[in-house]
Amino acid sequence: MTDERRTASGIPVKGHYGPDDVPPSAREALAAGPGRAPFLRGAYEGMYRTKPWRIFQLSGFGNPADERERLLFLLRQGEGGIIMEHDRNTADHLYNVDHPEVVARREDVGLTGAVIIGVRDYETILEGIPIEDIYTHPGGAVVQHAPFALACFWTVAKRRGIDLRRLAGTGQSDFFLTYVGCITKQQIPPHAGLRLNGDITEFCLDHLPRWVPVSIAGYNGADSGLSAPDELATVFATAVEYLDALAERGRYEPQELSHKVGGVNFRVGMDFFEDIAKLRAARKMWAELLERRYGIRDEKARQLRIHVVTAGSALTYQQPFNNIARGTIMALASVLGGVQSLGVACYDEALSIPSEHAHQMSVRIQQILQHETGIDAVADPLGGSYYLEALTSELEARAWESFDEIQQQGGFVEALDSGWLHRRAARRQSEQWDEVESNTRLIVGINCHEIDETPFEIDGFQGTTDAWDQAMARLAEVRSSRDGAAARRALRELERVCRSNENIMVPMMQATDADVTLGEIGDVFRDVWGDWEPPIRP
Amino acid sequence: MSRVVIAKTGLDGHWRGTLLVSRALRDAGFEVIMLGMARGEDIVSAAVDEDADLVGLNVGGRVEVVERILDDLAVAAPGVPVFVGGVVPPWVRRRLEARGVEVYPPGSKLEAIVAAARRLTRGSPPPSARPDEPPQDRNE
Repeated sequence: MTDERRTASGIPVKGHYGPDDVPPSAREALAAGPGRAPFLRGAYEGMYRTKPWRIFQLSGFGNPADERERLLFLLRQGEGGIIMEHDRNTADHLYNVDHPEVVARREDVGLTGAVIIGVRDYETILEGIPIEDIYTHPGGAVVQHAPFALACFWTVAKRRGIDLRRLAGTGQSDFFLTYVGCITKQQIPPHAGLRLNGDITEFCLDHLPRWVPVSIAGYNGADSGLSAPDELATVFATAVEYLDALAERGRYEPQELSHKVGGVNFRVGMDFFEDIAKLRAARKMWAELLERRYGIRDEKARQLRIHVVTAGSALTYQQPFNNIARGTIMALASVLGGVQSLGVACYDEALSIPSEHAHQMSVRIQQILQHETGIDAVADPLGGSYYLEALTSELEARAWESFDEIQQQGGFVEALDSGWLHRRAARRQSEQWDEVESNTRLIVGINCHEIDETPFEIDGFQGTTDAWDQAMARLAEVRSSRDGAAARRALRELERVCRSNENIMVPMMQATDADVTLGEIGDVFRDVWGDWEPPIRP
Repeated sequence: MSRVVIAKTGLDGHWRGTLLVSRALRDAGFEVIMLGMARGEDIVSAAVDEDADLVGLNVGGRVEVVERILDDLAVAAPGVPVFVGGVVPPWVRRRLEARGVEVYPPGSKLEAIVAAARRLTRGSPPPSARPDEPPQDRNE
């Protein structure tokens, strides 16, 4: 045993810290206070006194009716918005349920999210839910799926006579999930994804002022192995790639775009102080990056808003109720870091998609923090801690180094396309697991305090088993009852626009309104852009 | 050199687990054929064409999909052992173990997985096997 200690990302940690450990740059940033650039101490002056963080959990499985039931359950439990999670087999791949890849695994359909064929399924899910008053993430976490998911949701609103300008919510179309964390069997290439994200962003600037068009989710990079500095660096490397591409189009200035791109996601894991430091460093880095790179001085344009999902990879299959304690600790770190919204990974994460009870616990953890602990009273309550400020500064310095390395690779998309990012994530993931196997890093239930039998065994949520059959029936119904000529026209127009420089969200809205199905959109995309070859090698 | 086919049965693309396991097996001297996300028929033909000594299935979906693959493998590549890892809830684990498939859920040590691969490719029974005691369902 040695006395040398390091954070999860390898930053050496001393036994105690003093005033000399706080660098002058940190003192300056501290003096600005919360709600002022560089936002080290929080995005808003009043923080949780004026606006509690939003309780924002992922949910979805089975049939549209199952998803609706779970969303209503979560709203009754006190959730502050809804996140619709869709079936990976179909949604992420833009495959209809009768696609051979899906038929080969038909029992899997609906296990990891609700099965959505088109706008009618969205109508079923959202029936009776006042979407004009509820902050919504309508799905489309994966890049090629996002335009369709957003268009379906917005079409439901239009059919209800709701002005799109009233809608508040967020898209995702996240490169980390799509091209790093959870790589699909088929996916349009990153350059096409960049174009789609640009179209969504401009469409929101034109029509949906309260909508966050895309949300860069560092979570999926971090949970694939990227360290805290790499997570910071890659999130901002993605953001500048978006901003540069949009600025080149010439319709909007970086200053008009930066707020739209500045709603991001990070993962908070079990290294308590490092992850608090990470969220604080993130705000400061974003504010400084926008000023340095684009000359943006306006403070609101440089204000980063953060959604956190606590680390699923930190949760254990063994002794699953221990994960409630882990979820609480990670949620606490997220709040001390100043999040705007938070999803706590459910205690049954390593076994199944969440049961109702596991979902309820994730909401309750947050409500207990909000109502019983008093930690919402003061913004950035740990600000000024010698240790935390030293760690925040060190993390920031390392993140800038990593950011520069990515730029030397040719930018984020290049680093992704070449596999550089995947190799970096895989190397660290392997090192971390070696530490567990060699017992240098202890995880309760994995390499210490293991037990063979647990009296509190859970079996995992089983979901619905008829999702594929039901979806096949709905698909047949849509095909036979829609105006076929209108659907074909909409698809032809979509294809034409995909091959042009026009915004694809315009024909996508027409297509969803014409009951075009998920798989038909996928066929157009595959025709136009082809398939991406993931750069992962054993 | 023993040959191991590693495949993902579902269309969920989380690749951390399969990559870690594949590399550990390769480092331990196995020849690893990584199929990625593959349909049952592709896993079966890879097991036959590659003359596999062992098949490793990464599961993120339903047990019925896995069972169909196991049935097809038993016909096309009889005697080739299969082990399973991934998001395998306890009831699925018991169901697979009852038909002789070893299951390595999240948190399993790579050294245990490598040891299992060595044992399975040699054709010896697992050390924990208790021939006179069938697997117990602890909920019963």
